[in-house]
Amino acid sequence: MALGDAWKQLSWFYYQYVLVTALYMLEPWERTIFNSLLITVAAMAVYTCYVFMPQHIMAILHYFEVVQ
Amino acid sequence: LVRDPLVTMCNGNESVLMGIALQVCHAACNGELYSRPFIESFEETPMLLAVLTYMSYGILTIFGYLRDFMREWKIEKCHTAREREEQKDFVPLYQDFENFYTRNIYMRIRDSWNRPICSVPGATFDLVECSSNDYNWTFEYTGRVVKDVINLGSYNYLGFAENTGACATAAGEVTVKFGVGVASTRQEMGNLDRHEELEKLAASFLGVESAMVFGMGFATNSMNIPALVGKGCLILSDELNHASLVLGARLSSSTIRVFKHNNMQSLEKLLRDAIVHGQPRTHRPWKKILILMEGIYSMEGSIIRLPEVIALKKKYKAYLYLDEAHSIGALGLNGRGVVEYFGLDPKDVDVMMGTFTKSFSAAGGYVGGRKDLIDYLRTHSHSAIYATTMSLPVVEQILTSMKCIMGKDGTTIGLSRIQRLAENTVYFRRRLQEMGFIIYGNNDSPVVPMMLYMPAKLGAFGREMLKRNIGVVGVGFPATPIIESRARFCISAAHTKEMLDRALDVISEVGDLLHLKYSRHKVLPSLDRPFDETTYEENEE
Repeated sequence: MALGDAWKQLSWFYYQYVLVTALYMLEPWERTIFNSLLITVAAMAVYTCYVFMPQHIMAILHYFEVVQ
Repeated sequence: LVRDPLVTMCNGNESVLMGIALQVCHAACNGELYSRPFIESFEETPMLLAVLTYMSYGILTIFGYLRDFMREWKIEKCHTAREREEQKDFVPLYQDFENFYTRNIYMRIRDSWNRPICSVPGATFDLVECSSNDYNWTFEYTGRVVKDVINLGSYNYLGFAENTGACATAAGEVTVKFGVGVASTRQEMGNLDRHEELEKLAASFLGVESAMVFGMGFATNSMNIPALVGKGCLILSDELNHASLVLGARLSSSTIRVFKHNNMQSLEKLLRDAIVHGQPRTHRPWKKILILMEGIYSMEGSIIRLPEVIALKKKYKAYLYLDEAHSIGALGLNGRGVVEYFGLDPKDVDVMMGTFTKSFSAAGGYVGGRKDLIDYLRTHSHSAIYATTMSLPVVEQILTSMKCIMGKDGTTIGLSRIQRLAENTVYFRRRLQEMGFIIYGNNDSPVVPMMLYMPAKLGAFGREMLKRNIGVVGVGFPATPIIESRARFCISAAHTKEMLDRALDVISEVGDLLHLKYSRHKVLPSLDRPFDETTYEENEE
């Protein structure tokens, strides 16, 4: 089952993430706090990219005089 | 502690094999000093791993502060020791880093240590299973006993940790005849004829004039170094010496100078400075210069460069104190230790110290040397005056196992065990390096440290190996530098090849699961014959 394999691979990646960041040693509520913080920060970064990327790209193209 | 990249410590020829530098020491290298190749490697910590390890310690520290805050403000119940209310204004006891580390990092993975076993720790043992409901603060027995866990952690180098056989029978007989306790110190009523026989046998085993035995290995070092050196003497001690040597050196109130681990240039520089400048303020010559080193360093698996140390010692007229705790019985053709391994004369080493805990599976330590030195120690050692002597069953165990190793009991069991240990060591190390783990130390040392680096992987490794029925010892911060945590395997002559193969397969599986195969120096599978030009074609893949 391709979905089963993908799920196994994903859970191995999650296990590696948990080992490398030492979340493996923390209790479940501490993991929740850390994951929430991480997802919040990542979501804010993605949102900022989404809002500001068109302006930045237009500014770059304007600088290189590709578009007026 | 920054390590050098893959370096072999011998001035041999460099043969570049497909772009990978492989320094091999040929037998005739370096003139007369080394009669055999000395291949030792400490691979450099990969930069990404070091950064990730520091990051994981940072996350653990932040959560540690959070938990300490919660304990302080009574949001969470405090399980650790704390000062009483009346002592709150005194100097704080539990605020230093060691206690912080113990409370917040060690406690979380504590179940990999102090596991109770309930059988003789031979090649396999039985483990009493424990579980914890409150994250390792307290443990309960589940009632199950895990049977036949392969033992990769005991210092059982020659496999004498057994409850059947000549050693156990002899110890049983002498217990029935003499009892267990001696109830006296060596200088009072504790000197039995068995002790004197053991000392004669130990002296002939080591090749020295005379030897003395003590009841505890740690106390042998810490109580005898103060008897040998004192104020006005200089101690040159290796960076990674054991706590007993450090304690003995500090108790002796001599000046202590530390040189880099196994580094002969550093040692020579210190010796030259000591002789040229003398004592710190008065510039008088030092009364004695004593070099403290170990035969095999158990955290690194490195072997002392004994020929060079002895050459230096003779040139600068210093004395050498060699602690052969791990190397006696484990190295050398006849198990006589690191002196025989290098083919040197035991009379060159001034004080040969060792323990009976590791290869002889007993307890206690010995000091061997010239007759006048040992006679001096008999009267002046703190251990002889204040500590109880070795108890008789232990003396019997050592006598029987030593006779077995020397071949005096008429069998070749001892010799075959020494050979099996050497084969097991070489095989295990080679296979681990081929799998791609970072292994420290000399190719001939039966102590195999495998690097794990991250604290979470240290805990996970112990647990995963136990799930698969293999018992390993993980070592972390206070014993090693903080980012260099490792798992330390001790090879034994009692391990059969099937056990080692099973252990290696499991280690490989766990290594893939935890992503531990960090080594970037791809070691080629070993050749069965010496390297020459015609073997290039085989290695093209």
